[in-house]
Amino acid sequence: MAMTDARVENSNEPVLGVRHLAKSFGGLKAINDISFDVAPDSVTAMIGPNGAGKTTVFNLVTNILAKDAGQVRFLGRDLAGMSAVKIASLGLIRTFQAARVFPGMTAIENVVVGAHRLAPGSGASQMLWLSAARSEERRIFRRAEEMLELVGLASFRDAHATELPMGAQKLLEVVRALMAQPRLLCLDEPAAGLNDTETGELANLLRAIRALGIPVLLVEHNMSLVMNVADHVVVIDSGAIIARGTPPEIQRDSRVIEAYLGREGHGAS
Amino acid sequence: MGLMVLLAMRSIVRNVTQEAWLLAVKVQDGTKTTNLIPRRRASAVSRDGRRSKRAPRVLEFVQICIGGLVVGSIYAAIALGFSLVYRVTGAVNLSQGGFAIIAAMIGYTLSVSLSLPLWLAIPCAIAATVIIGVALGALTFVPALQRLSNANVLMLTAGLLTAIEGLSLVVWGSQPYAMPPFSGETPLAFGAIRVPTQAFWVLGSVALCIAVLWFLVTRTKLGRGLRACAENPAAASLMGINVPRMTLLSFALATLIAAISGVIVAPTTSLQFDTGRLFTISGFVAAAIGGIMSFPGAVIGGLFLGLATQLATAYISSLFSNAIALLILLAVLIFRPSGLVQASVTRRQDTRDEVKAVGHVARLPASLVTPLGAFALVIAVLVPFVVTDNGILSGLVIALILFMTLMGLDVLMGYAGQVSLGQAGFMAIGGYTSGYLAVNYGLSSLLSILAGIGMSLSCALVLSVVTLRLRGLYLALATLAFGLLVDSCAVGFLDITGGPSGLVGIPSFSIAGFEFATPHAMYFVVLALDVIILVGLAGAMRSGFGRALKAIRSDQMAAAALGINIVRYKLAAFLISVTLASIAGSMYAFFFNFLSPEMVGTGRSLELVAMLIVGGESTLFGGLLGALLLTLLPTVFQPLATYKTFAAGALLVASFLYLPQGLYGAVVQASIRLARSSRETASTKNSSETQARAL
Repeated sequence: MAMTDARVENSNEPVLGVRHLAKSFGGLKAINDISFDVAPDSVTAMIGPNGAGKTTVFNLVTNILAKDAGQVRFLGRDLAGMSAVKIASLGLIRTFQAARVFPGMTAIENVVVGAHRLAPGSGASQMLWLSAARSEERRIFRRAEEMLELVGLASFRDAHATELPMGAQKLLEVVRALMAQPRLLCLDEPAAGLNDTETGELANLLRAIRALGIPVLLVEHNMSLVMNVADHVVVIDSGAIIARGTPPEIQRDSRVIEAYLGREGHGAS
Repeated sequence: MGLMVLLAMRSIVRNVTQEAWLLAVKVQDGTKTTNLIPRRRASAVSRDGRRSKRAPRVLEFVQICIGGLVVGSIYAAIALGFSLVYRVTGAVNLSQGGFAIIAAMIGYTLSVSLSLPLWLAIPCAIAATVIIGVALGALTFVPALQRLSNANVLMLTAGLLTAIEGLSLVVWGSQPYAMPPFSGETPLAFGAIRVPTQAFWVLGSVALCIAVLWFLVTRTKLGRGLRACAENPAAASLMGINVPRMTLLSFALATLIAAISGVIVAPTTSLQFDTGRLFTISGFVAAAIGGIMSFPGAVIGGLFLGLATQLATAYISSLFSNAIALLILLAVLIFRPSGLVQASVTRRQDTRDEVKAVGHVARLPASLVTPLGAFALVIAVLVPFVVTDNGILSGLVIALILFMTLMGLDVLMGYAGQVSLGQAGFMAIGGYTSGYLAVNYGLSSLLSILAGIGMSLSCALVLSVVTLRLRGLYLALATLAFGLLVDSCAVGFLDITGGPSGLVGIPSFSIAGFEFATPHAMYFVVLALDVIILVGLAGAMRSGFGRALKAIRSDQMAAAALGINIVRYKLAAFLISVTLASIAGSMYAFFFNFLSPEMVGTGRSLELVAMLIVGGESTLFGGLLGALLLTLLPTVFQPLATYKTFAAGALLVASFLYLPQGLYGAVVQASIRLARSSRETASTKNSSETQARAL
């Protein structure tokens, strides 16, 4: 990996540090003592069989669920007690498992909303049509257009977001999150519901995101996508981490093959 | 008597403004108590002199409680209808009170005018009402449920209620009717307590309704189907249950209950075309207090509300009995939003319920905005030089004043997706505050408008403690309650507001000694204000601010995940709408030199919603079209003025179903088509020219 010295310096501190996370639903221990880090400039993937607790970890990290125990540090700050808005404003931007594009808005408008964190603008300057506000608008729109271009959605610019094909909606959601210039991008099963071609496009997009220097935490079901793009993989099963390492290491790990791929496992597809 | 004076005065006011319902509510509150408990006050006082003071007090209390139970059981019946429809469809049906009044009116016509015997007239009236209800439900409510969000269905049923009121205004006129009791005027005496015979009819029929409904829902196959729809409509339809039919059935049952209550309660109160609102609102409040998901909750809520209002009327003041009921409601909404009785099954709230609601808004192509805007402005400036009729010009001024409120309402409802059924309440606060200050302290127009805004904003901040936590149904309820609370205060604070007869002698709007007294002068003032507000809001709505609001409307969770501060933006939208409503209220008062409660009452709030929907939501400009249509139609076609209420309701329902983008959408599409065809003719001309040249 080609990194400048400064970046190596920074990378001593992980972007996201999760320590001893625990959560029970009723008597059921859904998450039991999970700890992991997301390093700068890397794609960290969290995989595991259905019901392993991946999305729960995700919701605990972003405070959508309240954790029973543990600590989540983002860029050195403890996220305990922070609202979703506060977390987002720190630069931890997440997407949702089911594509949640804003209905009633066009594709470009959806992407532009992503920039809200950076340019909340003042209502007053917008009301007075001040030239600062208007040039700010033009700048955001230009950037959004470039983003759409990047993922090949430029032709959908003025289409209503909900009328886009499922794959395009998923990409749109990722692009919208990117507009917020995240310090950490958390993607919740971005490949769910995508066909092979679309998954390929998504993989390219994720590599591009990493190249931009944006760390990614990826919860994913699709093994080929994970093995293709992830730098670091965390495998969880029944709410606990059973393995961690690089994709090749994970593919060789016997516990992972047993837990994740089953006993008949033919290796990763 | 004061009552007669009020009635007479009200009919005068009605002839002027065509919408005075609030007083009806007040007056009926009074009449109902007196009718149910004859000469209660007088007898208690006369006995006080001779006997020990304690016994009559207890007696009086028992009498009041009996009255409260009777009224409460009617509320309970209506609340039961709310609960039934809500459980099956997840939507609230506000039209029920309207059906109660239709049933009572038909019953009156059959039994008194056509002198049919009661045993024939009453079943016929109920049957006719149910037939009307089923037809209306099948044509409007059932198709609407598949297309509209629950909040919009609620407004559609508010439109139905208005249309039904309008219809009975056309058929039965605005005079009050009184039906004779079913079994004579002589009350039954139990010792010293006298109970009117009609009370037994009311209690008996409501008890029967509850028992039959309970049996139907819990013990029959049909009831299982209804409950399945309530818990999971999608799964129910997969199991072969015809969900639209079940929806219609629940609507029909609610109508039946409303019709029975209407006919039965008719002899105890005076009926008018707009009494239905009282039934609807009380039933709605009762259902919310008790817990709308539970049948026992509805009954308990109804009885509680009945007792509370009757006791408040007797011991505090009839003018504030509504206010007390509404304060109870607001307290329940704050501390126990799902009602006093928790339901065993909670309806699953899909976070993306709004998706089906958020339609595509018609947008004018950027190339047409400037020319069409300039054209509209030129027309608007020229109008007063062409229109000389003062009546029409006044209508235009009113429409322009309402447009101010509508722009704010559009920011709140159209962009931020926050339902408000009490917007006129802020017109009232603004109007009364600036009117009072101008009349009593001679404050200048501008300062008194500012004072009105300050007052409105402080009330809004208090209200927002409640509203910011609520969405959809409960938000609608809370805003409705707020509007009614303001109504009650406008009537009740006689010293400040002048009570039902209104605040008189408000000076005309003036700046620096120049008075804008004529409609002509006022037109330009209001037009200038409108243009400034429109340009400012258009700037905010087309940029980050508007986008944040739209994002919140479509998906709160996703919006928050992008760092949009939901509370802050909702509050900002709310305060903008309140400020504009307040300014409009002040201008309204300055224009009429007079302000009375029903000019800025709940009827006005519902009318504003109708104007916005008919004109086109989230377009800012659409409100003007709706305001012009609904204000000018009755002015231009004087003979049709009685149809105004009906038209407002019917247009609201129709545009929800057939013109989801409103008049504005239709205009935009027409102008796009026009622009395209003119471009095409131009290009064909060009091509024929080039062809000619080539030849």
